[in-house]
Amino acid sequence: MAEIATGPMSRRVGSIRRLLERYPFLPALGIVAALFLLNGFFSPASLSYRALTGLLSTYMALILLSIAQTYVVYAGDIDLSVGSILSLVNVTIIVLMERWGGGAGAVLLSLALGLLLGLACGLVNGLVVAALRLQAIVATFATSIFFTGLALYILPVAGTPAPTLFWRTYGGRLFGLPFVFYILAVLLVLLFMLARTRLAAQLLAVGDDRQAAYQTGLPVVSVRIRGYLLCGLFAALAAFCITGDTASGDPLVGGKMTLYSVAAVVLGGSALAGGWGTVVGSLLGALTIGLINSLVFFMGTPSEWQNFMQGLAILLVLMAGVLAGRRARP
Amino acid sequence: MSKLKLSGVSKAYGATLALRRGDLEVMAGEVHVLMGSNGSGKSTLCKIIAGSVRPDAGRILIDDTPATITGPRSARAQGIGIFYQELSLAAHRSVEENICLAALPVRAGLFVDRVSLKERAARYIALFDGVSGEGFAADALVGNLRPDQRQLVEIMKALASEAPLLIFDEPTSALDRAQVERFFEILGNLKRRGRGIIFISHRMDEIKAIGDRVTIIRDGETITTLNLDETDAATVIRLMVGGAGDMPASQSSVPAAVDIAAESALTVRNLSGAGFRDVSFEVGRGEILGFGGLHGQGQSALLRAIFGAGAITSGEIRIGSERFDASSPRDAIRRGLAYVSGDRSRDGVISGRPIIENVSPIHYLRDRLMIASPSRLRDRVLPALQSMHTKFASLFDPISALSGGNQQKVIIARWLIDRPDVLLLDDPTKGIDLSAKADLFTLIRQLAAEGLGILLYSSEDAELLGNANRILVFNGGSVSRELTGAERTRYNLYQAAYEAA
Repeated sequence: MAEIATGPMSRRVGSIRRLLERYPFLPALGIVAALFLLNGFFSPASLSYRALTGLLSTYMALILLSIAQTYVVYAGDIDLSVGSILSLVNVTIIVLMERWGGGAGAVLLSLALGLLLGLACGLVNGLVVAALRLQAIVATFATSIFFTGLALYILPVAGTPAPTLFWRTYGGRLFGLPFVFYILAVLLVLLFMLARTRLAAQLLAVGDDRQAAYQTGLPVVSVRIRGYLLCGLFAALAAFCITGDTASGDPLVGGKMTLYSVAAVVLGGSALAGGWGTVVGSLLGALTIGLINSLVFFMGTPSEWQNFMQGLAILLVLMAGVLAGRRARP
Repeated sequence: MSKLKLSGVSKAYGATLALRRGDLEVMAGEVHVLMGSNGSGKSTLCKIIAGSVRPDAGRILIDDTPATITGPRSARAQGIGIFYQELSLAAHRSVEENICLAALPVRAGLFVDRVSLKERAARYIALFDGVSGEGFAADALVGNLRPDQRQLVEIMKALASEAPLLIFDEPTSALDRAQVERFFEILGNLKRRGRGIIFISHRMDEIKAIGDRVTIIRDGETITTLNLDETDAATVIRLMVGGAGDMPASQSSVPAAVDIAAESALTVRNLSGAGFRDVSFEVGRGEILGFGGLHGQGQSALLRAIFGAGAITSGEIRIGSERFDASSPRDAIRRGLAYVSGDRSRDGVISGRPIIENVSPIHYLRDRLMIASPSRLRDRVLPALQSMHTKFASLFDPISALSGGNQQKVIIARWLIDRPDVLLLDDPTKGIDLSAKADLFTLIRQLAAEGLGILLYSSEDAELLGNANRILVFNGGSVSRELTGAERTRYNLYQAAYEAA
């Protein structure tokens, strides 16, 4: 009797589990939806087209930075220098664009150099962590100080403005649609393609069990370095967005964002130990953080209590995500 | 034609010589069996061939030409595929991805070609159609599979390398009858197609069924190579044991009878849990009860479960006359149990901390010590260390400054400040040198003489024969034989361990 009763029940639990296995970011998606509703409840205006565009353009940098972090977390590594890479690229392109006059050519050339700089920072991290086998968490903490030092050398104080062309484009519209929507669309296509690359599969295999991956014959060191390269690349892209959003250079702008990016990765359902996760989850995780911040604001929390509430809300969301995601992992 | 020839290959890990002199020649179209007891060097030899361990010396010829294998990638490139005993699978990846992981098919140089990946994996999955069991599917995550199914995935992965030389290091330990038969059919086919196959198994019947020749390794040295149809099981076992397997010299020198009737230290009744089932025994005060058998037959799992570090599903444990259910090691320690593992780095050493801190944690716990003054602590720590002739310069040196043997002495010393009632030894001499071993066993026998009940699991038969009053031989998670008195010989130990499970 009891067995008959448990049959379909366990099959249903099994199918939820399969769904979560396939789409580990589903809990994060649910949380984002719930936060949207809460935001709308406290302030209907926060769901307006305008407000959503603003949310996206403010948090696009964090989204990209969280995606950057995800690729190294895939392989069981971590990068505590993403924020510093972002700052370094931010001040570098600001200074270059200003020096070269702020025309379209200057902007594009600066951006290209910014991407190269991001890749170079990723390469440094990769060599230090994978080739020299230093502890990722400490080694990238050290390189973060190093990158910050470079950023402070390039632009000692915050303030140099970005060329009008640059921030007008970022905050403006193209064919009637806000520019950030195009960024989001291109980003989604890019993530879709990256998820299908051999590198993504290899990163996850390395993160799953490094020794097993080595014994399988995977080029573990080179895979990890390529993870850091990808991370540096996305950190540079994040720097472009923060530059577009703040329209100025600030050598310390990214410092606080590093741990937010780690939090977003975890909120998105990825395992910090590696081998398990999705970039879409991290995107949603970054949005979660953005929505929590705006929710705390819209709830009318007194300013001195806002940090307290943000921390509390992130903890709650983390718990909810863990409870939902626990079933999925084998 | 010779596929692979090794001569004089050796490998040492620190002071431990894992492989002294490995010689092996594998022909095309043969299944070549490697046999040897625990820690004789078989797996090391295989890992050297597969490139995941670098040899210190020796020559390797592949297809009669000298070869250097720099790593697993280089081994694959030179036509070597391997099944790892401890498996090399990614738990969060699907079966098909794992099978093809070493060489993912790629489209446009960048993207994984899912279609050809599925096709390729399906070929190897189809080989085990009908025996792979419920829930086995190409897109199932490996971590969700049963142990036998995971082992099948590792087999498929090795087969997918399509390497001319395949190594299978205990590929059948978790498989059922039907799976083994299917696997042997596949091996037979490969053999006919001229592949060279190295096969390790501890089951005599399997070896007879599939093997052509056997190479016997003892204490890290290749003893001989024989044709399997010209020899019998007894000869093979005798060669593994060493010429004088049942001569008096290899018999146990320890008195068999200890007055158990006096008082029992620990009683275990019908205990089952993860990795062992239905185990019953009694160890008396002053007795050393040995656990023998091949590696991983449930001995460690049982000891850890008694210590509260592993799950128990049924049965009961008594200490003295009192019922005991350790919910955690902390609880077990409070009730007078001590556990020493051979895996020092995982279960013993507090790395990077001074020696004194490595000796005192149990004392903190048992004495509910809150504040310790170094000088008072020193008075308690020093005698414990000295009773084992531990060599160290200062109590405040980091433990990593010591050799493996001395580190293990420090670990044992931590249990000696407050005497436990029962000592659980889980292969305690793994990777330590001979003089340290001698010191350790002198102490262990002395502790027994003082009235402790001691459970000793050792992967080295000589240690069991030299110290245990009785020996329980484990096979497949339960006790297959108890050796007492004059039965305690090397030959009997081997025979009990190698009987088909």
